[in-house]
Amino acid sequence: MTKPRPLQLIKPAAPPDAPEPGSVAERSLLVAAAQRGDVRAFAELVDAYYARCLRFAMHMLANRGDAEEAVQDTFVRVYRALPGYEERESFEPWLFRILANRCRSAGARERRRSEFVEFGEVPERANDRRHDETIAWREEITRALAALPPEQREAFLMRHVEDLTYDDMAAATGAGISALKMRVKRACDALRLRLTEDFGARRD
Amino acid sequence: MHDETDETIIRIAAALRPLPEVDPARKARVLVAVAAERERTRERRLRIARAWRVAAGTAAVAAAAFVAAVILGTPRRAAEVPASARSASMPARRDAESVAAAARLATDAKLGGFKTVQVVLRAPSARRVSVVGDFNAWDSGTDEMSRDPVTGLWSHTLALRPGRHVYAFVVDDSVWMRDPRSPEAADADFGRPGSVLLVGQP
Repeated sequence: MTKPRPLQLIKPAAPPDAPEPGSVAERSLLVAAAQRGDVRAFAELVDAYYARCLRFAMHMLANRGDAEEAVQDTFVRVYRALPGYEERESFEPWLFRILANRCRSAGARERRRSEFVEFGEVPERANDRRHDETIAWREEITRALAALPPEQREAFLMRHVEDLTYDDMAAATGAGISALKMRVKRACDALRLRLTEDFGARRD
Repeated sequence: MHDETDETIIRIAAALRPLPEVDPARKARVLVAVAAERERTRERRLRIARAWRVAAGTAAVAAAAFVAAVILGTPRRAAEVPASARSASMPARRDAESVAAAARLATDAKLGGFKTVQVVLRAPSARRVSVVGDFNAWDSGTDEMSRDPVTGLWSHTLALRPGRHVYAFVVDDSVWMRDPRSPEAADADFGRPGSVLLVGQP
């Protein structure tokens, strides 16, 4: 019996006059090629954005399996929606719109399934003296983030982790800029309060 | 009021920013799912085209039958058992085997040395069908097939390396059957029947 081998993506060789890898120009060329049905270009887009999408989904859903599923669905939806994508729109907010929508519906499903979301073994491990402080800090952040209302969490991540502009965030969420600023501000206030209090107390 | 980006927020953002490690197999599955979507779109288009042809054909047959009935004065109707009654009275195994018809279709999607291959099984009354083989460690939870509600055809797209693969179908978690349309494998795993699939170079 043969074990399934890990799959790998092959990058097509770049022509000599190709724009710089990872540049906006290169991305829009890729998007245009994928729109014409170029499978390799689409594979490159997946390659370029997979990790970022996974990061966002993992912070939104706090569960790797759900996050991977959400990212996979997102790319299928992106593929399906590509013919309707217009170039005057930026690709990134367009991608994040689909991803955020998918995470929102997954999050709603998860909330219906259980009122209480468990995050690993944080309660026991928090008292473990050997426990690394950096990891404890990360876990606190994860919990603080999970405690935020989803739209605040989403806005905070887009702004401070994904570095989207407020214009891009408006395109990605459909919300107005002032509403988004308010969400980010509330998220920051809540995170700051929780993390300076909780973590400060634990450290003392 | 704090500034939006004070030290705490910068630290929080920095802790959240590292990109997660990506499992290359998981990333490749995205492309397999996309290839499957591509297939579905293509089939949907074909089905619509076929439905139009069938509709046109049926209209012609109905018109001819009407003419014949008028001429002969004795209209006759073919006895027909609804498909639902037929399949309900039949155990899954017999149903799946009796109407088993499979087709494979290698698509032109080239996924980094992998080729996408679609496996198809007709099993209208099955509730769940998966394809198992050397490529998924014979795990029936990995490659579940999806059913077309109109045709009752179960299909799934696999990304396979070029070479020889052995596979089989698992119907309703209870019936193990090989693909009747493909050559039988002499060396199937677990001593259970399997079929051979040859994948050419992409």
